[in-house]
Amino acid sequence: MKIDGIEVDGGAANGAATQPTDGYLCDAPDVLTTQPADAISPSSASASIDVSQLINLDDGYLSARIYNDQAIYDLELERIFSRSWLFLCHESQLPKPGDFFATYMAEDPILVVRQRDGSIAAFMNQCRHRGMRLCRADLGNAKVFMCSYHGWTYDIGGKLISVPHEEDGYHRALNKESWSTLKVPRVENYKGLIFGNWDPNALPFTEYLGDMAWYMEAFFDRTDAGTEVIGGLHKWVLKCNWKFAAEQFASDMYHAEVSHSSAMMALMPDGLELTADSFGREGTQFSDANGHGTGFFTAPDKGPLKAMLGEAIEYIRGPERDQAIRRLGEVRAKRIFGGHMNVFPTFSFLPGTFTMRVWHPRGPGEIEVWAWALVEKDMTPEQKEAIRIGVMRTFSPSGMLEQDDGENWLEIQRVLRGYMARRNTLNVQMGLGHERNDDPRFPGKVNHVYAETAARGFYRRWAELMSQPRW
Amino acid sequence: MALTKACKISDLKPGEAIRLNLKPPIAVYRLDEGFYATADTCSHAEASLAAGDIDLEECTVECPYHGSLFEVKTGRVLSMPAVKPVKTYPVKIIDDEVFVETEA
Repeated sequence: MKIDGIEVDGGAANGAATQPTDGYLCDAPDVLTTQPADAISPSSASASIDVSQLINLDDGYLSARIYNDQAIYDLELERIFSRSWLFLCHESQLPKPGDFFATYMAEDPILVVRQRDGSIAAFMNQCRHRGMRLCRADLGNAKVFMCSYHGWTYDIGGKLISVPHEEDGYHRALNKESWSTLKVPRVENYKGLIFGNWDPNALPFTEYLGDMAWYMEAFFDRTDAGTEVIGGLHKWVLKCNWKFAAEQFASDMYHAEVSHSSAMMALMPDGLELTADSFGREGTQFSDANGHGTGFFTAPDKGPLKAMLGEAIEYIRGPERDQAIRRLGEVRAKRIFGGHMNVFPTFSFLPGTFTMRVWHPRGPGEIEVWAWALVEKDMTPEQKEAIRIGVMRTFSPSGMLEQDDGENWLEIQRVLRGYMARRNTLNVQMGLGHERNDDPRFPGKVNHVYAETAARGFYRRWAELMSQPRW
Repeated sequence: MALTKACKISDLKPGEAIRLNLKPPIAVYRLDEGFYATADTCSHAEASLAAGDIDLEECTVECPYHGSLFEVKTGRVLSMPAVKPVKTYPVKIIDDEVFVETEA
């Protein structure tokens, strides 16, 4: 048969198509088919990978292959990132209705938008027509989102509201209601931090945190006014696997005295003789069953922390401390200094340094780091500026300590290009068997600050999720 | 001819517009020179011109959805994707109130 004068296979040849008398090839539907009830098609990730062969956390070792393998990465996108709570943005980034921030959940582009009723919605930054990136700005305020390919237009909640040529192209048969953007089904605001989850049945965020919530409050809930981010954000690319960064922020105080030795010396106040209390020694590491981890010193140091904080140290040792004691009690207000933390899988924060970041995975060998500076809202402008400068000086693309960390992760990834290096077995045994859950000060499973308990917890959770196709 | 009350003069500042829910809907704009009215629905696709951005110097309105640009006083289209003008309507000021003249 012919369509527009071109010979086409099938049709009349197999006898299925009858030629309508009015010249049309078939009867036009009054209403075009709405989208299938489940818009998500089945995953194509390989289910044949047995991670239990790659990892043994009871004895404390793992295969280096988990950091450089496309099939493992594809499975991570399906089994880790499509059902874990992922950080989207801080609510202070979206003060007004229509304010939006374009981010990612792993590799999926997401728009996070303040709604007219004050709530925050998140949906896929992808047009439902041909799949084009819907909004191409990083952030801003929008009345609507128009796809720059054909002009399909969505409201700030992601609902399809206008389609060009609806009359003469779609013959008024397009069911616009059923072609809204793909909504992130679960969005929660935890102490101003906005998290999203693709899994409609995911645990509520605070349950997902488990005992980590107690520590999160110590970091994010210290003052009545609450926190905000300042000065936009930094974004940069590192050629390394996302797990190096996430694991280190969950579990690694160990590297600091070696990797950051020269930066620490540069940050020490002039003329300070090194003594036992120049840099923290006593401390605690915590590991949560859901893969989260944190570690911190339990006595103040006289060295780098003070230099990093400058003006802000007075606030943190004064008004902030008083509020924190009232809100959280003595232990959380006064016994946590200069720490690291990671909410599984990719949201990290350094309490005491105030850099907050998400590690967006970009294949097995690359990440995008998106980093903010977090302050207490009721700090003075001078104190906020001191934190901003401290973060820039230490943990930012130009930060001294950031260079040290990045260099380690990049070098590991370069080494893992080796065939034998990838098959090598790596050690995660520090503090194995010394975990306890009866610390009178700190809840949950804890160890000495120099331990890899939280790393083992991180990989245990990773392996659990990787081996479960469904809950 | 029928006169439909749109608003009071003081309801709109220069650079603002309102939508009248008639059939078809009409957009009433206030420019520095006074009040004007056009069809509210963009000639390209379903969108309300009254919600668009008004340029007081150029006397234009930009469709909030797809960016087509129209001359407010004449309805002439200045920029794609629209290629058809929008209809204009005469505006009458009676005392402190603004009226639009429609056929019906």
